[in-house]
Amino acid sequence: MGFVWHVALRYFRSTRADAHIRVLSSLTAGGLAVGAAALVLALAALSGFQNHLLADLSRHTPALQLELAGSGAGAAGDADAEEESAALAAWAGATNGVSAVQELLYARGWLAVGASVEQVEVLGFEKAPPVWIPVGDRTARGLIVPMAVAQKLGLAVGETVRVFSPRPGLTPLGPRPRTRTLPVAGIYRSDRADYEELPVLLPLEEAAALFAGGDRRLDLALEPDAEPEQVAGFLRETVDPADATVIGWREANRALLFVLRLEKSLVFSAVVLIVAVAAFALLASLSLVLSSKRSEVGALAAMGAPPARLHRIFLALGALLSVGGAGLGGALGAGVAAFLDRFRVISLPPDVYIVEYVPFLVRGSDVLIVVASTVVFTGAASLLSARKASRLDPVEAMRSART
Amino acid sequence: MISVAGVTKAYRDGAVRRQVLRGVDLELGPGGTVAIVGPSGSGKSTLLNILGALDTADAGTVRIDGVDVSASRPVALAGFRNRSLGFVFQFHQLLPDFTAIENVIMPGRIAGRSANSLRGEGMDLLAQVGLADRAADFPQQLSGGERQRVAICRALVLEPPVLLADEPTGNLDAASGEQVLELLDGLRRRRGTTMVLVTHNPEVARRCGSVLRLDGGRLTPA
Ligand SMILES: Nc1ncnc2c1ncn2[C@@H]1O[C@H](COP(=O)(O)OP(=O)(O)OP(=O)(O)O)[C@@H](O)[C@H]1O
Ligand SMILES: [Mg+2]
Repeated sequence: MGFVWHVALRYFRSTRADAHIRVLSSLTAGGLAVGAAALVLALAALSGFQNHLLADLSRHTPALQLELAGSGAGAAGDADAEEESAALAAWAGATNGVSAVQELLYARGWLAVGASVEQVEVLGFEKAPPVWIPVGDRTARGLIVPMAVAQKLGLAVGETVRVFSPRPGLTPLGPRPRTRTLPVAGIYRSDRADYEELPVLLPLEEAAALFAGGDRRLDLALEPDAEPEQVAGFLRETVDPADATVIGWREANRALLFVLRLEKSLVFSAVVLIVAVAAFALLASLSLVLSSKRSEVGALAAMGAPPARLHRIFLALGALLSVGGAGLGGALGAGVAAFLDRFRVISLPPDVYIVEYVPFLVRGSDVLIVVASTVVFTGAASLLSARKASRLDPVEAMRSART
Repeated sequence: MISVAGVTKAYRDGAVRRQVLRGVDLELGPGGTVAIVGPSGSGKSTLLNILGALDTADAGTVRIDGVDVSASRPVALAGFRNRSLGFVFQFHQLLPDFTAIENVIMPGRIAGRSANSLRGEGMDLLAQVGLADRAADFPQQLSGGERQRVAICRALVLEPPVLLADEPTGNLDAASGEQVLELLDGLRRRRGTTMVLVTHNPEVARRCGSVLRLDGGRLTPA
């Protein structure tokens, strides 16, 4: 064993002899253990939740979206847009890694039943309704209305509704409102949050006829083994930005992802305070060790131990005082997290959350962050006292023991 | 070997300035031994610290073993102290967390040598001062005189060319004092060690090549 670790280990052993240092060093180890365990557990709970949330989200949102530009022109432009959308859809469908393409059209319009009129968001879909619309019968042709709208208008499946477009159609008799009467094919209730307005769905042909100038979008589904970023990159390079914008799954959910990250940082900052307090205890115990060993450190320096080595002795002592507690705490946290997840110990009301128990996920990157923050805090504390040790004046230090 | 010229040193205690050394000169060739005597508080330990590059003089030059000690900062001289100097401190300064033998070999450990390679020499030295059976004891378990002998062994373990000893026989009875002196004599004969001994012991002074008296901040022949 080298000189540095030899001395550090003996000093570590001597921390048990002095009552004050013993209390402080236990506080250090205990605090670091609690802090590391709490950090690992908190991050594991957040990761577990986020994992479920993101999995749920990715089931409900397309991997990639192509937002077409240049909608909203005149009648000639409408036909162009339709053609362009179809062409782009065909091309995107042939791209490597893309398994399916769905053309969509967004617009605003009105539903009218008798005298009641309701302004709604309208979504025209190609083929079947998008997967994130939880409607029972996916083959029915007609309007699929969100529950809230159906209740306001008193609609039931099978009844008919008039759909109005805000854009007039040009007829030989002059401009007349575009309108169609369609049957209600389904009513759906979304598990998505209530704050976003849910669209009324109708087949793309009907939507295109009514709302020709609406915003067009292509939703791409990817092959299971395709890299979303890679496909997105290829599309971005290939598609003329004047024609369409490529939006990845992460961009589409940027706000949510940001909130998730923010939440994690906030929880981390709160819990890491335990580690910070433990680091103060470490600083205090190292300072106590140093002041009780002043004359000995002075003697070591007098015998020719260079300042850098005295420095390292106290860094090593700091590591000895903190590694055990932090390691134990981290392992404990990970173990408890695995246990709570495996046996679904903490249950949740199933109608409120997307999972019926609190899931825990111990991520390597989270553990790394816990380790890094512990090292930063304890390292800073050790560095402070190590610097003091290395700057001792040997004569002064040896004199201090006698007075 | 040791060449000191015009060394002065003052301490400042608040507004009071205490001039401890007022121009100390000392010349000592290789293998030379000198005893320094003088009243308590006359600055003997202070002078020894300056010779040992543990403290800096206010003025004057100190050359030891070819190194201009007064020109370098004490911390920069760590390696020099380890290689060239053996210290016996006035208050032995053993490390309480280490056994007697571990204390003895500590300078060698600082020099980067392994405990195993040093153990033989350390045990030899302890045996020569009659402490072979106390090697595994910690300083707390030793008497004042025993500690002092361990401290002397520590100063000698690397067989330094220069030994600076502050009252090496201060706590010792005649018999163990004699053991220590034998040890020092042997080392001087074998290795030509240059020695500066601060002492109140006439027997120690008698055995040295010269005896100097430190009083009033100056060294004069006693
Ligand atoms: N760091 C310091 N600060 C202030 N005064 C000091 C300091 N070190 C030494 N002195 C003073 O310098 C004087 C000489 O001290 P020193 O220890 O060299 O004496 P000494 O000759 O070794 O005495 P003794 O025989 O008692 O060991 C003393 O008056 C002491 O108080
Ligand atoms: Mg003295």
